[in-house]
Amino acid sequence: MTAARAAGAQEHGAPVAPRPAAARRGAGAAVLSSGRLLRLELRHNAMLWLLPVAFALFFYNGYREIMALPPMWNLRAMTMQNRLLLDLLIPATGAAAWMGSREGRRRITDLVAVTARPRWSRQLAVWAATTAWAELACLACIAVVYLVTARQASWGSPLWWPAVVSAAGVPALTAIGFAAGAWFPGRFVTPLVTVVMFFGLAFSTQAASGDHSYWQISPLTVGAFDIGAAPGVASFYPYLPDLSIAQVMFTVGLTVAILGGLGIPVARMRWLAAVITVAGLAAAGTAVALAGTGRLDPHGMIVIPALHDAASDQPLRYTPACSRTPIPVCVNPAYAGFLPAVTATVGPELTEFAGLPGAPARLSQVPLVYRQVSANGIDVSASGPRAAAFVVPDQVPGWLGTTGAEFAAQLAEGLGVTLASDVILGGGQKSAAAPTQAELAVIAGSVRFPPSVQSRDLAPMYGQLLPQPGSPADLAGRRFAALSPAARHAWLAEHLTALRAGRVSLAQMP
Amino acid sequence: MNVEISDLTRRFGRHQAVAGVSLQAGPGVFGLLGPNGAGKTTLLRMMATVIPPTTGHLRLLGRDPGAYGPRREVRRRLGYLPQNLGYYPGFTVAEFVEYFALLKEMPAARVPAAVATAVERVDLSGKARAKLRTLSGGMLRRVGIAQAIVNEPELLLLDEPTAGLDPEQRVHFRVLLRELGQRATVVVSTHLVEDVGAACSQVALMDQGKIVFDGTPGELTARGTEHGTGDAPLERGYTAVLAAARA
Repeated sequence: MTAARAAGAQEHGAPVAPRPAAARRGAGAAVLSSGRLLRLELRHNAMLWLLPVAFALFFYNGYREIMALPPMWNLRAMTMQNRLLLDLLIPATGAAAWMGSREGRRRITDLVAVTARPRWSRQLAVWAATTAWAELACLACIAVVYLVTARQASWGSPLWWPAVVSAAGVPALTAIGFAAGAWFPGRFVTPLVTVVMFFGLAFSTQAASGDHSYWQISPLTVGAFDIGAAPGVASFYPYLPDLSIAQVMFTVGLTVAILGGLGIPVARMRWLAAVITVAGLAAAGTAVALAGTGRLDPHGMIVIPALHDAASDQPLRYTPACSRTPIPVCVNPAYAGFLPAVTATVGPELTEFAGLPGAPARLSQVPLVYRQVSANGIDVSASGPRAAAFVVPDQVPGWLGTTGAEFAAQLAEGLGVTLASDVILGGGQKSAAAPTQAELAVIAGSVRFPPSVQSRDLAPMYGQLLPQPGSPADLAGRRFAALSPAARHAWLAEHLTALRAGRVSLAQMP
Repeated sequence: MNVEISDLTRRFGRHQAVAGVSLQAGPGVFGLLGPNGAGKTTLLRMMATVIPPTTGHLRLLGRDPGAYGPRREVRRRLGYLPQNLGYYPGFTVAEFVEYFALLKEMPAARVPAAVATAVERVDLSGKARAKLRTLSGGMLRRVGIAQAIVNEPELLLLDEPTAGLDPEQRVHFRVLLRELGQRATVVVSTHLVEDVGAACSQVALMDQGKIVFDGTPGELTARGTEHGTGDAPLERGYTAVLAAARA
């Protein structure tokens, strides 16, 4: 139409009136429209096709390792937090990067750019669909681990904070992948961002140094570097959510900041997006700073003073699981599965010492005490000095490849020696004088050391509580050990007072 | 006027793709002709609000698309088919059209019927559930047209819409264009002059970024009666105008 004709036409025809209905669309219609868009994106999302990959990775990498652990809630939940995100990273970040780069790869940018829905809103729909599938995978993995553990665990309840940290980490993974794909659309972005993220996240768990390390903010970190998921953590005291709260704050802040960053190029929404980005960065930064204020508490968990609830310091109430042995052995119910191994290891001593003067009426498990030393070193000690309050070592069967024999050896070295020395030497009430040769012989004859540890692990104890190998006391101890527990009990019942008084010589021993 | 353009320019670095174009268009089918590199696609992209003009004045549907709010309102009432249609191969025809209906912020309740109508108008009802990856180039072009018209746009911008269509579909498409032109402004950029002759009530001819002819197809034909070259009358007018402009 020529300009002249147009001028004429303008006199007769006003601009087409706007559609008031379109302008006045209600919030409900917008939600419905967004819901339909999300449904379309869910149906055509790369993460949907990668769900089998995600499950397979978790099964072969994380699940089998978690299920090999003893069925204790703390061990499995904390190990799951340490594994799950890393297993989901490749499919989740990869799918998000692929979806983020979709418009650029498919050269559809012009076509979608002229639609009324803002680019930010369009991108959020794609990200939300990707995240929904990835989150579904995450929650399914958590559900399987927790359901199986619920059937196997002897006591306790699910630890939810490790699950929350994992679930909160998934949107961060997809946000990073999506943003990379959206900002640098191309086929190579997906593998590149996936590899970088994988090594970045894996490295983040290795960089911590001490309980004040900022690197503890990594969502894979479940506690102090050298403890992590250990049986003694969160068994006697509640699981401290301090570090978990900081980690969730970090991942949520990171997600918000990245999603806000996607909206910054959008006209009219620039300021809103910038505010959201800054708020997200502030939350993430605050979380990192909080992680840096952490300190290891005696129960093996990280306390962040600003987030700490003193009520969490109260010990858990429980009814101990006790053995029906001459001297009952009572353990935390979470350790009930190990009670047979404990009683089998020290069973002869329990029969031998039961009823003797100074013998404990029962042996009760007490928690380990953890203390941070230099760098990532952790000092682990027993909170109870005597056999009546003993500790079950963290190296329980199935934890980090610990075998039943190794567990028994540790018990014999710890509980067995302590029990024998307590009874023979008089429970610490004797003077600080060195034990007599006869006492050493009886202790050596009473404690059942597995053959494998005799020479290797007990060397430091020789000369303190055990006689020198090949010495007369050692030979007397071997003779004493050859007796039955009942015979040893009978001899001790008759000679214990004299033995403690130093009036029994090696020659007088049976 | 649905389209009001005055002194519109667009530069890409040192290259001036559009150099001072002025146009006005109301309801009807408006043909934009010109050789390759004449600036048709750039002009259409500016009209589609894909890119802003470097200088000049542009009003679409009575609004200034330079401002966010009016631009968004224009986009709700706009249909656009780019020269190179990108698509998502995993989407079905209906899903792809629905996707754009939703992006154009159509009321959700109206979307299913609008999608069905748009797909039917491009004669793809039988392929509504077919994945885009299984369609031929011509069918994909029709899918592109369907997404452009799904919101019943008041301003429809089509860049080489008949490229890849078979003769039967081109005839069908021209009928559709005439229908759409009865209530909306349809701007068709093409180098196929027979499309313009068959469907357009107005035509502009661009060369080297400028409008060198603006009139009816009949007036363009008349320009070629003595000096033009070509097989068809409109082609002779086309070549005659271009030759005169370049002289």
